[in-house]
Amino acid sequence: MSTDTSTGAGGPDATTPTRDDIVRPLQHTQKPFFIVGAAASLVALLWVIAWSWQLHNGLIVTDLADWGSAGGVTWGLYIGAFIWWVGIAHGGIILSAAVRLFGMKKYQPVARIAELLTLGALSMAGLYIVVHTGRPDRIVTSVVMAYPNTVHSSPLVWDVTVITLYMVMTATYLGLTLRYDVKRLRTDLPEILDPLYDVMTLGYSETEDRIIERMVWWLALGIIIMAPLLLHGGVIPWLFALMPSMPGWQGGVQGPQFLTIALTSAVAGIIIISSVLRRGYDWYHILTDDVIRGLTLWLGLFALLFIWLQLQQIITGVYAPEVAAGRATAAKITAPVYWFAIGLVVIALAYIFAQAVKPQVFTVRRSIVASVLMLAGTLVEKIFFVVEGLMYPHMYMYYGTPGTYFPSIIEMMSIAGTIALCTLFFMGVIKVVPVIELHAIEELRGEEHGSSEVEER
Amino acid sequence: MSTEDMTDTVDEALEDRLDESWEAEMRALLDETDYDTELGLEMAKDAQRLIAGQISEATFHEKYTGAVVEEFGVDDRPTAPAARSDPGADADDDGDSVGDGHGDQPGILETMLGRDVADGDGGMVTSLSEIDPDTDQTRRETMKKMGAAGAVLGLGAWGTSEALQGGPEEPSVGTAAAQADDGDGMQYGMVIDLERCDGCLQCVTACIDENQTSAGANWMYVLAYEDEHTESQNFLVRPCQHCTNAPCEKVCPVEARHTRDRDGLVLTNYEICIGCRYCQVACPYGVNYFQWGEPDTPYDELPGSENDHDALKELSDDERHDHLVETGDHIHDDRGQWNDMRPPQGVMGKCTMCPSRQDGHQGDEKVGTVACADACDLAGMSSIHFGDMNDPESRPRQYLRQRVERDLDDDTDLDTDADWSESTTPWRKLSAFRLLEELGTEPNVVYLGNEPGPNAEQVDGPVTYDAIGVQDDRKDHLDELTVGGGGL
Repeated sequence: MSTDTSTGAGGPDATTPTRDDIVRPLQHTQKPFFIVGAAASLVALLWVIAWSWQLHNGLIVTDLADWGSAGGVTWGLYIGAFIWWVGIAHGGIILSAAVRLFGMKKYQPVARIAELLTLGALSMAGLYIVVHTGRPDRIVTSVVMAYPNTVHSSPLVWDVTVITLYMVMTATYLGLTLRYDVKRLRTDLPEILDPLYDVMTLGYSETEDRIIERMVWWLALGIIIMAPLLLHGGVIPWLFALMPSMPGWQGGVQGPQFLTIALTSAVAGIIIISSVLRRGYDWYHILTDDVIRGLTLWLGLFALLFIWLQLQQIITGVYAPEVAAGRATAAKITAPVYWFAIGLVVIALAYIFAQAVKPQVFTVRRSIVASVLMLAGTLVEKIFFVVEGLMYPHMYMYYGTPGTYFPSIIEMMSIAGTIALCTLFFMGVIKVVPVIELHAIEELRGEEHGSSEVEER
Repeated sequence: MSTEDMTDTVDEALEDRLDESWEAEMRALLDETDYDTELGLEMAKDAQRLIAGQISEATFHEKYTGAVVEEFGVDDRPTAPAARSDPGADADDDGDSVGDGHGDQPGILETMLGRDVADGDGGMVTSLSEIDPDTDQTRRETMKKMGAAGAVLGLGAWGTSEALQGGPEEPSVGTAAAQADDGDGMQYGMVIDLERCDGCLQCVTACIDENQTSAGANWMYVLAYEDEHTESQNFLVRPCQHCTNAPCEKVCPVEARHTRDRDGLVLTNYEICIGCRYCQVACPYGVNYFQWGEPDTPYDELPGSENDHDALKELSDDERHDHLVETGDHIHDDRGQWNDMRPPQGVMGKCTMCPSRQDGHQGDEKVGTVACADACDLAGMSSIHFGDMNDPESRPRQYLRQRVERDLDDDTDLDTDADWSESTTPWRKLSAFRLLEELGTEPNVVYLGNEPGPNAEQVDGPVTYDAIGVQDDRKDHLDELTVGGGGL
């Protein structure tokens, strides 16, 4: 990643960023905002209606069924999409880590966007757990009651635990870093939200800045250790990797494999959101082409690792596999949908290689397309992974194996619905807090952080 | 020689045994465990004194209660406090209570207290068993810990001392389990003789009738199959394997899927299951059937549906049992937990091995029976043998022995010292197997006959599911209510 070492501001349209830039979304709302908001609300509403149909009639409205004699698969799109959202949620931590722990200041302007993406995406993942279960009304009571015992044994409980922890830590992290900005930008923030800002900056004093910075550093370290190693390289893949019943899933490779998918989709998500925001709020001089180019390269690296680990699985599954594992691999590499997913990733990779070799190939628009391809590829791959694993169980003698599954309309609507909800979440957030850190502006202006900025109070 | 002299001699002999080398040996053993060495050593010494009659059981119990609770979290030692110092004095023979309170080490527990540990009058074990079922796990675990420590402490010797006093009188299933030399609690399971099965599917229909499962949820399922190198048609009768190391139970996020302490049945608590279906994913046998939509049989039509789960749990054990028997309740077990017959919408179901039968709610004559095995007997096949796998006198164990003997007549090279749980025993030569045993599930169904290989494929049997009017391909049925997709 040669470009990572270059300094922040660059690109053809670089002017000096100001505080006015970052409070612009909080002061002005344009027509496109309402159009996108209305469209997202409509999609979300349609899905909520579909979901209530499911709540009313039961999961029978999905195309899921029992594996075994019944000829179906019991987990499908909902679980695949759950993994996908958790993966996207990693965007926040990668960027924060890059900035805060590894000193890659170049990405500071997108750090908070990424952190907010973490909150949004994790919420969607949590929502999918609710949507997936047969008795969502019981989740809280049942899980809490049994928690002291199940936390030792159930990977699903590990998941709930780690996701909750990740959520709390990310929210704390955001809350702490926002104090600095809100205090200093207070006069430019909408008055109607004053009570909220009062709470957010409760007890603020300038002396806390250094302490907060240290706290945030440690918190970032905690999250960076936890998120990749424990969450997406840990408990999420362990949901599958620990099941000898399904040979297509079992094995240690799933940890790194899931992590690469998470990182790929996370970077893709950030590229899309930051590109949209910079267009909407004229932030070309803050979220520069250089930043997008750097992110694109990272996207390529992670996607390459993803492909590499796919290769590992295929080669061990075809060379001299145990019968059931060989059957699962054979089915995988002959499934068109698998190659469709891999194909999307490979096409995106081809572009990334090309623009790395020939810089003039790069455009932000193309990077957005590559990101969309990556997100689609990882989503399809994840759903396929879940379904294919269940189609080729260890005990394969049933008439009903391999089972059949194609997501029902209601299930597919959930993808659109959760994307819409996540969009709405973002649209709400940019009207409440600055999504670009004041620190980032200070950095770009070559100013020192801290008390020198505090004036006019 | 006077009595006193004799006691002295015994005492001296005992003190000799408890010498330094004994202590060093015990200490080495205890150091290998996670438990307090000094406490263990002290207890072991006194245990020997107890056996020799130097101290009373009550004294022994009182002396260590505090320390044991501190070390193990609970005092589940098989000795009784003063009030209960006479083992077997209040023996109670009703079949459904025996075996209750078994942990993994009932050998000690049962033999010391008699077999009515759960029906006692205030001992520690009793009070524990009366607590909310949620504590079952804890109790079981404590038993395991006690078992580990007990083994080291030489408490096993007590079993012998009890045996001298004469065991329980009536050889019911439970008492036999208590005496079983296997060292495990009661464990219901099956021996299924696949060589006797003719694929009539009577067990399948009997199960559906018994449990009112919805179309295609065939808790008992029979596969006719062909394997690569066999020309004949084989059968695999597939109930739930009620595994000792059940993967479904391990992954359950809410402890809905659990093993019942009293008899090792793996059940689903329909009252708390959230329907995440992880059990179905983890089970390598495909025995789980989720209730995707409204069940075919309405709740009101299930015997016992008038009983309220919560109200049942508030009754005392005896009251509850009597009430469930009176009402012929078929959906609650003796703990007042809803886990029998078909599950409600959004909840997982599977073969239960009929807990309400085992608890006597369908009448005493049905205790120790299951619907599928009854049907198999009725069909004249007697392929399915249900009972306590840890009881050498149970029907499945007896059947296993018979088959060994029969095979011995044909092959005199076989060793007669049969133990079904040892891999070197003749039953392996009988071509007996447990399904996918290599996955470490420790299933409690033992099959006699051909084991399906990894390439076995199901084929139409002599009697098809169609012919008996049973839905086989449940997916087709479920697709009727799928909204969009599915057939795309």
